[in-house]
Amino acid sequence: MNGEVNLVVAHPLEAKELIEWFELGEVEPRGKYRCYENKKGIALVISGMGVRNAVNAVDWLHGRQSPGFRAWLNVGIAGHPSAAVGQGLLINRIEHRRSGDCFWPPIPDLGLQGCGLVTVDEPETTYEQDAAFDMEAAGFFAQAAGLTTTDLVYVFKIVSDNRENPVDEVNLQRVPELLRNLESAIRKLVDHLRERSAAIADWYGMPAEFESLLRRHRFSATRKAALAQYCRRFCALGMQGRLSEIARVRFRDAASLMTAMRLELASASESGKTSRQGAE
Amino acid sequence: MFSAVYFESEVRDHPRTRAILERYRELPHIECERFGQIFNRKAQNFRMQKQYPALILARKHGRKVLPAPAGYGFEAGQSHYFSHMLNCIYDCRYCFLQGMYRSAHCVLFVNFEDFADSILQSIAAGSGTQVFYSGYDCDSLALEPVSNFAEFFVPFFAQHPRAVLELRTKSTQISGLLQMAPAPNCIVAMSFTTEACAKRWERDVPSIEKRLKALARLQEAGWPVAIRFEPLLPEADQKAYASLFDLIFRRLDAGRVHSTSTGLFRMPADYFRNTLKLYPDEPLFARETRTENGIVSLEQPNREAWLAELEEMLFRHIDPASYYRCAN
Repeated sequence: MNGEVNLVVAHPLEAKELIEWFELGEVEPRGKYRCYENKKGIALVISGMGVRNAVNAVDWLHGRQSPGFRAWLNVGIAGHPSAAVGQGLLINRIEHRRSGDCFWPPIPDLGLQGCGLVTVDEPETTYEQDAAFDMEAAGFFAQAAGLTTTDLVYVFKIVSDNRENPVDEVNLQRVPELLRNLESAIRKLVDHLRERSAAIADWYGMPAEFESLLRRHRFSATRKAALAQYCRRFCALGMQGRLSEIARVRFRDAASLMTAMRLELASASESGKTSRQGAE
Repeated sequence: MFSAVYFESEVRDHPRTRAILERYRELPHIECERFGQIFNRKAQNFRMQKQYPALILARKHGRKVLPAPAGYGFEAGQSHYFSHMLNCIYDCRYCFLQGMYRSAHCVLFVNFEDFADSILQSIAAGSGTQVFYSGYDCDSLALEPVSNFAEFFVPFFAQHPRAVLELRTKSTQISGLLQMAPAPNCIVAMSFTTEACAKRWERDVPSIEKRLKALARLQEAGWPVAIRFEPLLPEADQKAYASLFDLIFRRLDAGRVHSTSTGLFRMPADYFRNTLKLYPDEPLFARETRTENGIVSLEQPNREAWLAELEEMLFRHIDPASYYRCAN
């Protein structure tokens, strides 16, 4: 099972290679942001530069997608006082210089070089801190983490400038080449995120019967929550087959359905004979 | 074992921090102001983090020694607990820690000396024997090669015979203890569930056989050892428990076991809710439950009779006077 991943980049030149690797097609008609996607669950949005744009682009992309469990990855160039141009950095700490807010992206064991990062409003020219510098990550992370678990939000930066090669000398046309040189690292990261988001979808997705039962009867908010819990318990106890059967039965109303489900669960729990147990 | 090491700025130069960072020099080292910035963040997924937990080195502020909950532990005087660690490197599905903390990262408080000062104050303020449980929010020994917790606290308690330390564990990290002279007031209490339950619900935990071997070696070396049958899960039948009791008490000198206890599966209701959200697909939590006084336990017909039968089997091996039921 492949999970879904949203990629966020600031500049079209940062998107170029990603679009090619993941065979992304542009979403038409163009909306507020240029957006690309494939049929395998990967989408990409070009946010434009700066924290505000990053926040808005994440929000915009989320708004146009159906509900689901998606990972988020910000890929882009960054400055660093001493790291070599072309070095890939998996960001493990983000400081937003203007607000002082700190964010802590997860650190998977992928063998990628880790680094802290400072998000600034203007390109960094003095490189005073021993960290990477960008202009979007803090906004990206804050917004994306509000939409999913923080464990599914990653930031990967490629060093484009340092003290020896200052930011005002960066040739943007070289950006696709910088990404190209890190293709395997970026692919590895995307694959990892797809696995993670697939796992989350597997853990927390609702069985199809839930939607079908919702359509068939009228449920109050409380009953809807209870129905979700009952459906999950049927699955957890290895009684998917029984849930499917119940979903096909015509009950008078939601209350009768819920009573039948409750009794069935109580009986299964009491006997302790679930198919999962039986398999052991 | 860990994906990264975070450390508070405040403990950057602490000798324990330096030693641990050196031990994990190949991992990312990330500085933070307070461990809560990472550990207490919202929207973390404990279940996912368990797959790549980090170690957080911090200083414990505030109260370091707390009264043990009523019904927890053996009757031997005033009871306290202290937590030099939050969380556990093992992944037991029935554990309440997964519902208590937002993060699966392990926090290690490196200021052991401050804990020792607080323990001394508690000893001085109390009368008679004082019991100190160290494995309430963590496993006491599982991280011993990294933390050297027992190496510090066992000699400390050995100097204070009016105090008793319980090292509650599922770990086989006993080499440090075996190098020390046994301390009569430091008890190594090993937790067990049945073989089937352990296989099903205890991930990354040493096998029953290995735990038992470690416990037998400690007993042979003169250490007081204790047995904790926790949690008792109705999944296992009486035969499974009978086999477990036979296995354990064939290997240990039952007459020299400090204490034996049982405790049913139970969890504070809010922790249970959190755990259920994390593991909606877990059959254990899909069973019928009952909530009494804010504690959730598994619904089980004839629970009291079931427990009494278990105890009867247990008393074929041990003196009932050394037994207690853990209620919390």
